Amino acid sequence: MSSIALSAGENAKTIRSARRLDRRRMLFWVVPPVAWFTVFMLIPYAMLLYTSLGRVEDMRFIPGLSLRNFIQVFTVDPYLSVIIKSARIGLMTAVLSAIVAYPLSFFLAFHVRSSRLKFLIYLLVIVPWWASYLVKAYAWKTILGSGGILNALLQKAGLTDEPVRIFLYNEFSVVVTLTYIFTPFAVLSIYAQLERIPTSLIEAARNLGAGGWMIFWRIIAPISVPGVVAGGIITFSLAFGDFVAPVLVGGPDSVMISNIVINLLGVAFDWPMAAAIGLVIITLGLLLISASGWLEEKTQIRF
Amino acid sequence: MTTGIELRKLRKLYEGHGQGAWAVDGVDMTIGAGKFITLLGPSGCGKTTTLRMIAGLEVPTSGQILRDGLDITDQPVTDRDMRMVFQDFALFPNMTVEQNVTFGLRVRRMRGRYSEAEIKKRVFQFLDLVHLADHAHKKPHQLSGGQKQRVSLARALVTDPQVVLFDEPLGSLDANLRKIMQIELIRIHRELGKTFIYVTHDQDEAMAMSNAIAVMRGGKVMQFGSPRDIYDRPANRYVASFIGHAHIVEAKVAGRDGQGLVVSLGNGEKVRLENENSAATGESVGLMLRAEDLAFGEAGPGMVSGNVADSLYRGEYIEYVVELNGGAGVVHVHARTDLPAIDQGAAVAVRVNPHKAHVLAH
Repeated sequence: MSSIALSAGENAKTIRSARRLDRRRMLFWVVPPVAWFTVFMLIPYAMLLYTSLGRVEDMRFIPGLSLRNFIQVFTVDPYLSVIIKSARIGLMTAVLSAIVAYPLSFFLAFHVRSSRLKFLIYLLVIVPWWASYLVKAYAWKTILGSGGILNALLQKAGLTDEPVRIFLYNEFSVVVTLTYIFTPFAVLSIYAQLERIPTSLIEAARNLGAGGWMIFWRIIAPISVPGVVAGGIITFSLAFGDFVAPVLVGGPDSVMISNIVINLLGVAFDWPMAAAIGLVIITLGLLLISASGWLEEKTQIRF
Repeated sequence: MTTGIELRKLRKLYEGHGQGAWAVDGVDMTIGAGKFITLLGPSGCGKTTTLRMIAGLEVPTSGQILRDGLDITDQPVTDRDMRMVFQDFALFPNMTVEQNVTFGLRVRRMRGRYSEAEIKKRVFQFLDLVHLADHAHKKPHQLSGGQKQRVSLARALVTDPQVVLFDEPLGSLDANLRKIMQIELIRIHRELGKTFIYVTHDQDEAMAMSNAIAVMRGGKVMQFGSPRDIYDRPANRYVASFIGHAHIVEAKVAGRDGQGLVVSLGNGEKVRLENENSAATGESVGLMLRAEDLAFGEAGPGMVSGNVADSLYRGEYIEYVVELNGGAGVVHVHARTDLPAIDQGAAVAVRVNPHKAHVLAH
């Protein structure tokens, strides 16, 4: 009996020392991510929150605990309406990008057989990202402007005598420019999803007697939904927060929320208000991401 | 006019890395209606390409495919009344089991053939056939490999095709499941009486299930015949060594006596074969000796002598590796496990079953 008791005691001891070791090992793995998260996420957000609760007097920041700025985001014009307009521009960009990206991704995934050609086209989609964003936005000025390529073409074709001015400096030109710039993200995400569809699936459907439209609507389209959603989230987010396109190709009424934040920071020197808008947008963004994450999960196809 | 499928000089060129190669190189075959035919061979022998050409998923470079005497070489895949069961199952991942099986009944060609109520009834009838009616609402990713393959089979059969094509359908299943599925397939073939054309590299599968086997190699059919024909009377050395565990010993035809053909081995010993009449006296031949057709016996005339080089305990039997005297060759002999074990190096005499040994032309 005594030997059993002894071994039980020893056993408890080894368990204790193993636990100590485990705890030390755990610290080794836990500390770096926690530190990273604290330095790069927690502290900046805390500073943002701290700033947003204060106010500015005579160009000086005065700390406080007031929700006034947050109330103003929703009550004082034009904050809320500009947020809504930015969301509208983001949504239009996301939809247009998907419309442009889908056929290209489809072509790339199902009609390009040679892997070399596939890579080449893929590269052509990415290459514009080697050029500066500003250059690309400017390029649209030369296309859409009154002395631009589009107007020159229209005049040559005899469709109009005067240069048409409705192409540039409005929401339309902002959406077109943003669509052009962010479509590659939609292509990558839709293509990645389409590429997962095995050839045998298409062959099986044809073997069962299904025509092209039936294969597309019953098989390819449902499977590609998560890719379209993921691409939509990326293009929406990027377009929503954009501030360059409104400045370069937008009109007086196409100011977006990021432009307002920049003005509050730089011109008006109202950092607390800017911080409050930032936090509202971040919160909306988190809501959007969880909603779309849920949607993506719902529509995701497991092979 | 022949009913069934006829392949005439079927060839398929594959272009790759600048040089073409014949994936299928002149296949001639007649597949009778209602038969279970297997295309058997190692990977790259052209069996899958042949099957895909029959299905219409590949276009032949030359040659013809006839269906009940009609040329269907250029008929689009969607119009061929043949269904394929794929190696990777190819189930539609976005649909339930029921929707997968229903798919083929909703294509344009099938429209009007069955009413909605009939479709539902038919789908469940075939899900029952493969024992999956309880899983109708599940998505493919919730099924095991064997269940997926059965859905794939139900989806193929539900449209009532006259021909069902199988592309290594059991390749990704484990050994036990494969055996169960083999029996299922034989049962379904018997119940429905459709033509089954089956591709596999597994000779046991081919032997167990088929009415006839086409052994393929390098895009050509090496032999097309019943499993018994192919096993007992292989047409050439390749078929002999691909099917079963045959050992081929070099020999010469010594002549003929009242009971059959007499061949002499390299060491001068003579073996009599009773079912052979194809070889001429003096001809060099390969003597095919399968382990199960050999037995140990008392030394004497008509026996082949040698020494045991190795023995392998196989559970069901002991397999002895016997080196024949005078370097005439090596054969394997199966012996019952309850007989006394024979030591390595011991001199033995081997009796050859005169009905089963077979000569192969050089």
